[in-house]
Amino acid sequence: MNINLKIWRQKGVKEEGKLHNYRLENVDPNISFLEMLDILNINLVKEKRDPVAFDHDCREGICGSCGFMINGRPHGPQKATTVCQLHMRSFKNEDTILLEPFRAEAFPVIKDLSVDRQVFDKIISSGGYISANTGEVPEANETKIEKKYADEAFLSSACIGCGACVAACKNSSAMLFTSAKVSHLSLLPQGAKDKDARVINMVATMDEMGFGSCTNTGACSAECPKEISQENISRLNQDFIKSSLMGLLKRNK
Amino acid sequence: MQELLKILTSSVGRKVLMAITGLSLSLFMAFHLFGNLFLFVGEAAFNSYVNKLHKLGFLIRIAEFFLVLFVMSHAYSGILLWIKNRKAKKVVASYSKENTSSSARTAAFTGSIVFIFLATHWSTFWYKFNFDLQGMSYYYVVTESSVGFGSPFVSFFYIVAIALLGYHLKHGIASAGQTLGIVGTKYERVYNNVSSIFWFWIPLGFISIPVWFGFIVRII
Repeated sequence: MNINLKIWRQKGVKEEGKLHNYRLENVDPNISFLEMLDILNINLVKEKRDPVAFDHDCREGICGSCGFMINGRPHGPQKATTVCQLHMRSFKNEDTILLEPFRAEAFPVIKDLSVDRQVFDKIISSGGYISANTGEVPEANETKIEKKYADEAFLSSACIGCGACVAACKNSSAMLFTSAKVSHLSLLPQGAKDKDARVINMVATMDEMGFGSCTNTGACSAECPKEISQENISRLNQDFIKSSLMGLLKRNK
Repeated sequence: MQELLKILTSSVGRKVLMAITGLSLSLFMAFHLFGNLFLFVGEAAFNSYVNKLHKLGFLIRIAEFFLVLFVMSHAYSGILLWIKNRKAKKVVASYSKENTSSSARTAAFTGSIVFIFLATHWSTFWYKFNFDLQGMSYYYVVTESSVGFGSPFVSFFYIVAIALLGYHLKHGIASAGQTLGIVGTKYERVYNNVSSIFWFWIPLGFISIPVWFGFIVRII
């Protein structure tokens, strides 16, 4: 198959970027999308031109490194799939595919399709952990966890922090990411101890980092490669309200 | 106090404020419609209902004060969030809209139109009812006068604005459920069922009044 690519090229954070056109012929429809970009880059290097920068690591859909906008959708057209798990058979012969980096004020473009997602680490470090003593491995099943909570926490923990939610959101809000991290830990007994401080601090850090506010449009969950649900956001809001009120009551006592 | 301010000015806090003011205003809408429906009962019934409200005196003024306060704080938080969200988003050449409902995307716009409608509503109906009756009955002001449905322009704008209000609430009420943490709990179903009363049936009730008195009655 032959494909036409329009790729956002930007030399650095402060540089202006613009779309460039490329054409690839005789692409095997069974190769992955990133392999297609590898082929493009090999061609570019052979022509002594600058290859397209894009993030990738495991190429198994579990690390959260890859991700950019394909025709206006984070990770491309296929539901619940990261870019690395997307294949060229999802496109048609002679398609024009538009590639852009994830767009958000909080995600500065490093180069081409690669964006700086350090702000996610800052949100995590403000509460996305549990304060447990390290030491011997505890006895299995020592801490009983109700199945309902274990399942919910597991679904939330599937978040790979790729940033597709922020890119999909018209407000560049990081609520889905933050709420997945909050739910993942606060639903479990080990994490429940720091529940109040966690939600308040993580929301505060999220606000500081220049993300927009959630207007509950649901685009994040629709585009999330791990299908993190809107219930996480609802749960975060509920936790935030409860923890804030409890905090106010305690302080005024 | 400082703590409370910090909570209320956080992104979630502002949205909680929007949700609470928005839901309160929706409840008021139900009450408002209850009064308006007396128009269908007849002239005497409507006039005596409005007179009864007027007899409540300062209680009504207090309620009005809170209504204006709620409308203003709802709009104020909305505008602040809108500005913040505009700043946070960079332009994408090919942003796909297929995963957001248009009621969600246009909430700020529909809200603005509703606000303009409210401003004219206060400066015409509310002002006339309270200070400038000139011997007309309340019923006459609504059904015949030039600020009421005697004017086809007023009727038309009223219908459009209320329809947009319903559309605003379609997203707004669902969004408030999410903001207050109802989504995902056992109350979600009940909440969603009740919400359609507010975004569909109540606006439809309001619209029926100008449709009847502004157009149908005049044609037949």
